[in-house]
Amino acid sequence: MRRGAILQLTVLALIIGGLTTAVAVIPNWLPPTAAEQADRIDFVFWYVTIICIVIYAVVGAALVYSVWKFRVRPDDDADGPPIHGHTGLEIGWTAIPFGLVTSMAIISAIVLARNDHTGSNPLKVDITAQQFAWTFTYPQHDKLTTNILRLPVNRPTRFTLQALDVIHSFWVPEFGQKQDAVPGIRTHITVTPNKIGTYPIICTELCGLGHAVMRSTVIVMPQDKFTAWVNQSGKAVSGGGAAAGKAVFVSQGCGACHTLQAAKSTGKVGPDLDKLPDYAQQAGMPLEQFVRESIVDPEAYVEKGFPPNVMPPTFKSLPKAQLNALVKFLVDSSKAAK
Amino acid sequence: MLLFIASEVMLFGSFFTAYFFIRVVNGYPWPPEGFELPRYVAGVNTAILVTSSFTMHWALQSIRRGNRAGMQAGLVLTFLMGLTFLLTQVIEYARVGFAPHDNAFTTIFFSLTGLHGAHVFVGLTILLFMTIRAYRGHFSPEHHYGVELGGIYWHFVDIMWIVVYTTVYII
Amino acid sequence: MTEVATNGHGAHVEHAPAPPPTGLRRFTAPGWWRVLWMMPLFWGIGAGIVLLLRWYAAWDPLWEWNALVVVAFLTTMPIGFLAGLGAFDYWVHYALGGETLPEDHSGHGARSWKDYFRVNTDHKVIGIQYLVTTFSFFVIGGLAAMVVRAELAKPGMQITDNQGFNGLFTVHATLMIFLFVIPAFAGLANYVVPLMLGAPDMAFPRLNALSFWLLPIGGLMLVGSFLAPGGPPAAGWTGYATLSTHLPMGTLFFNMAVQWAGASSIMTALNFLVTIITMRAPGMTFWRMPLLVWANFTTSLLVVLATPFIAGSQFFVMFDRILHTHFFNPVGGGYALGYQHIFWFYSHPAVYIMVLPGFGIISEIIAVFARKPIFGYRLMALSMLAILVLGFSVWAHHMFVSGMADYLRVPMMITTLLIAVPTGVKVFNWLGTLWEGRIHFTTPMLWALGFISTFVIGGLSGVYLGAVPIDIHTSDTYFIVAHIHYVLFGGSFFTIMAGVYYWFPKMTGRMYNEALGKIHFWTTFIAFNLTFFPMHLIGTRGMPRRVADYAPQFADWNLFISICSFALGASIVIFFYNMIHSWKFGPKAPGNPWHALTLEWQVSSPPPVFNFDEIPQVIGSPYEYGVPGARHALLNGAKTHELEEVER
Ligand code: HEA
Ligand code: HEA
Ligand code: CUA
Ligand SMILES: [Cu+2]
Repeated sequence: MRRGAILQLTVLALIIGGLTTAVAVIPNWLPPTAAEQADRIDFVFWYVTIICIVIYAVVGAALVYSVWKFRVRPDDDADGPPIHGHTGLEIGWTAIPFGLVTSMAIISAIVLARNDHTGSNPLKVDITAQQFAWTFTYPQHDKLTTNILRLPVNRPTRFTLQALDVIHSFWVPEFGQKQDAVPGIRTHITVTPNKIGTYPIICTELCGLGHAVMRSTVIVMPQDKFTAWVNQSGKAVSGGGAAAGKAVFVSQGCGACHTLQAAKSTGKVGPDLDKLPDYAQQAGMPLEQFVRESIVDPEAYVEKGFPPNVMPPTFKSLPKAQLNALVKFLVDSSKAAK
Repeated sequence: MLLFIASEVMLFGSFFTAYFFIRVVNGYPWPPEGFELPRYVAGVNTAILVTSSFTMHWALQSIRRGNRAGMQAGLVLTFLMGLTFLLTQVIEYARVGFAPHDNAFTTIFFSLTGLHGAHVFVGLTILLFMTIRAYRGHFSPEHHYGVELGGIYWHFVDIMWIVVYTTVYII
Repeated sequence: MTEVATNGHGAHVEHAPAPPPTGLRRFTAPGWWRVLWMMPLFWGIGAGIVLLLRWYAAWDPLWEWNALVVVAFLTTMPIGFLAGLGAFDYWVHYALGGETLPEDHSGHGARSWKDYFRVNTDHKVIGIQYLVTTFSFFVIGGLAAMVVRAELAKPGMQITDNQGFNGLFTVHATLMIFLFVIPAFAGLANYVVPLMLGAPDMAFPRLNALSFWLLPIGGLMLVGSFLAPGGPPAAGWTGYATLSTHLPMGTLFFNMAVQWAGASSIMTALNFLVTIITMRAPGMTFWRMPLLVWANFTTSLLVVLATPFIAGSQFFVMFDRILHTHFFNPVGGGYALGYQHIFWFYSHPAVYIMVLPGFGIISEIIAVFARKPIFGYRLMALSMLAILVLGFSVWAHHMFVSGMADYLRVPMMITTLLIAVPTGVKVFNWLGTLWEGRIHFTTPMLWALGFISTFVIGGLSGVYLGAVPIDIHTSDTYFIVAHIHYVLFGGSFFTIMAGVYYWFPKMTGRMYNEALGKIHFWTTFIAFNLTFFPMHLIGTRGMPRRVADYAPQFADWNLFISICSFALGASIVIFFYNMIHSWKFGPKAPGNPWHALTLEWQVSSPPPVFNFDEIPQVIGSPYEYGVPGARHALLNGAKTHELEEVER
């Protein structure tokens, strides 16, 4: 190869590499991180990005150079030089990519191992996913249950996930970590939040009708606030009365699918619960009996305009006290909404 | 034909994968309490099927040597033994005392033996056609490709059964 | 049990097709009239079997729709269709003890458009049948994507409801993968591979015809699923259990459609393998085969070994639904992740099934239009074999976040990343072929060069996904959607385009319009990148896939993407106009418009019914551009004389 060609190729590669680098740095590719794990993932991301920029620059330069230098007019009918290959080059472009991908694999494996490391005293949280709601339970705090996740900052949290019906997936973009919840098996991930704030929880595994709205929120707070919250909400659930019913409504994630003014929920997958009295009338049942039946045996009467088999049948296993509180809460608040 | 068999082996492979996941990965008890497999009946059945492979081989050897009657007898015997196997299997299904939808064990039991049963059925159909052709005198020492293919398939069905029998009934 | 069609040698008698039957005979002779009564008949047989069994086993209710749909509508009725059309005639004849008849080729060739609507055993007719069918399904799948994009133009719900949306992208992807990319490659190869090998036809012409006719069945099943109660299948093209075992009946249509398409591709693959192994022209050693043939050889091996697994996975889902078995239902001891392992054990190799034939096409085109021998021919073939082997050991990279055993992750990551090496070898060898070549910018070449530039992006995003930590963040986001389209649209689709333009003169005997072809390339290329590149960004920023509604922060980008996607759709109109118009009115094409060396170009366009008057004698590599005096093959009579000279 002539010296000139090498120079021109290098310039081209620099231009293309520069353009690709611009694409890589100008937009914000990754969400701001809020967990140690996300920081490490970002590191791998940028490491791979650098390698890819180099590779794309080389491929692009060779392509553009050939297209630019070796093009001929359509009526040219000469053949090119009969080059059949070059063993040295071929070994080179087998060995170099091999080395590069090996380095990626090593770095990834190290990061993976560190991201899975939980430390000796993690906060434990059990996640239950079902169509289309999240429930979070703190086994170390009297099985406190909520549907908005609250986490103390800078403490490793070990999540154990399970699903009641189909596969779901738990993802907080700012945490970088993601894990499927699978019916019949328990899965785990570790997150160490390191920035106070409020972030979305997204279900990323297609789980049916309400997949797109299967969202929740995680609030990362200082340890003392977290402790205060734990103590306070522990009381609310056991207290009984309207507060208890509302707590069950919230913790079971009913609001993900149903609208109910009293709980400030606006779900649209299932019927609007502020209209319960009307529905009961249509079904020809006393309100309380209707509400109870609809929770325990949802297919017994399905509201017009809504498909069957969407409401999970799993709520029949709610403890008696909670079920009663929930029914009372629904009856009272839907009457009030009218 | 061997490639086709390879494809068939992979189909069985996918069923065995399901078996493997349920039994090994999921640690499912095998067979679960209260379930009993008719090992001995199935053992006798296995013997019948294995013998039929020999008669099949005999049929093929006969036509190679130009012994048409030998081929016809071999094919008919093979066919009858295959049929016995299949009927025994059906009766076993009826008497086994559980159904595919009871639990994962019964699911796998029926699907593996059922998949194999379906193959026996296909094998029998091929044998039937070969027998018809044999009686019509279409095969000769030079032209007996059909018998050969039918034979390969039958041996495959046979070997597959030994694998199924071992994994489902014995271990 | 077909006999290999060996009568390629000697003079061919053109059998005139039998005169069309008239009167009542129309109902007994193979054809659409017979389909008319055979379909209901077989439906009845299927329904009868179901009812009889249920009655005998005293199951309640007797009339169970799920079972009826699977057996009567989706299994026996299509068999009735095939039987009516005459796909089984010969085998029935043989089985009942009739004489063996070698293919008499009376079915060869197509004299009018009607000949494309019957069971035709000519590989060239079948190739065109394949291509027309698959492009029809491409249009349907593409229009489904347009509705998807229209819905996504704004956050919130506008056009569809949730279930409708899930159904749309499921049908979109299933059509594109199982009824467009995979069979379109099979169609191109059907036309070209026997020609390239110097063979008169495929090894099993009747099987070939059958495997084609299974395709429209599978496709119509998917399209028809929109009529199923509860709507079309809506579990994504991956159809994960246990969602797929929970959803309405439409899922059954998906399960069965995949079975039919899968059966079709297994049969074709077997046919290719036997053809390539046994029907090469004299002198065509493995190391003299064009790379397209190599590509189809490796692809067919993948198909034969992997496809039974998807058949298995779909059977299990159906059993779980209809027989209430417990393959995946944890309540009875089933294992939900088992589905994913079995599915991906097929579907990862399937992505190479969808790209290796494309690699073959690109190799042909680049060598011809750079007027140079392929750089590192043997390494090109070997790297495909390497991809074949590695391809079977990476399936779990789709399951990094699924909760499978942790110890599988690192080994699967290593094998996944290693696949970049043989693929890279191919890319660099193409660049080596271009180097110092004399490059002609015809439309096929533009597509080939465009393919390299986009496929490398798709491959590199695959490398991101192969690195487990990055995959944990990006899995099931729009980053994946971007990867899918860069490899499948920028990869497979671009190569199909390249191949269709390249062989269009051979297939139709007419030239396409070069200017329109170039306009098509540039509009599609630009619109494609504008549509799919931003998807990487919204994906890493946090937009999950398979959602009809999304956070307002992604609204601007999605609107932009939707607008570009409509432009992309419109650009494809140019293609269809060019193809249809040129097929009718284009200027007549010479036998070898590209001055290519491979065998298919050495005969007239379109080739004679039996391809070669005399089987050619292969004497050298197919890519000896620029080598003085080199020849790939000797044709027609001159053979013995010239051969002597060469040997001397
Ligand atoms: C034609 C189809 C095709 C092809 C060829 C590929 C090729 C590759 N794919 Fe892709 N993939 C899909 C189709 C395809 N994929 C589809 C459809 C899905 C989604 C399925 C779904 O969930 O719906 C998917 C999903 C998918 C995932 C799962 C993501 C997830 O769901 O979480 C992963 C993870 O590893 C992956 C990786 C790869 C890799 C490493 C390659 C490699 O083969 C790429 C190799 C090529 C190159 C790397 C470029 C050229 C090389 C060089 C220039 C050499 C130098 C390079 C280096 C040193 C890096 N793919
Ligand atoms: C070969 C494969 C292939 C091809 C070619 C395409 C082509 C296109 N795809 Fe698709 N796609 C997949 C394979 C493919 N896709 C897969 C595997 C998935 C994953 C599904 C899953 O999650 O299960 C997917 C998912 C997918 C999604 C994500 C859905 C989601 O997750 O919510 C989107 C969204 O934008 C999309 C868009 C498009 C568009 C706009 C095109 C366009 O390129 C289409 C262009 C073609 C046409 C429009 C038809 C022909 C044109 C005409 C007849 C002209 C007239 C039309 C107009 C003028 C409008 N695709
Ligand atoms: Cu739950 Cu998606
Ligand atoms: Cu893959």
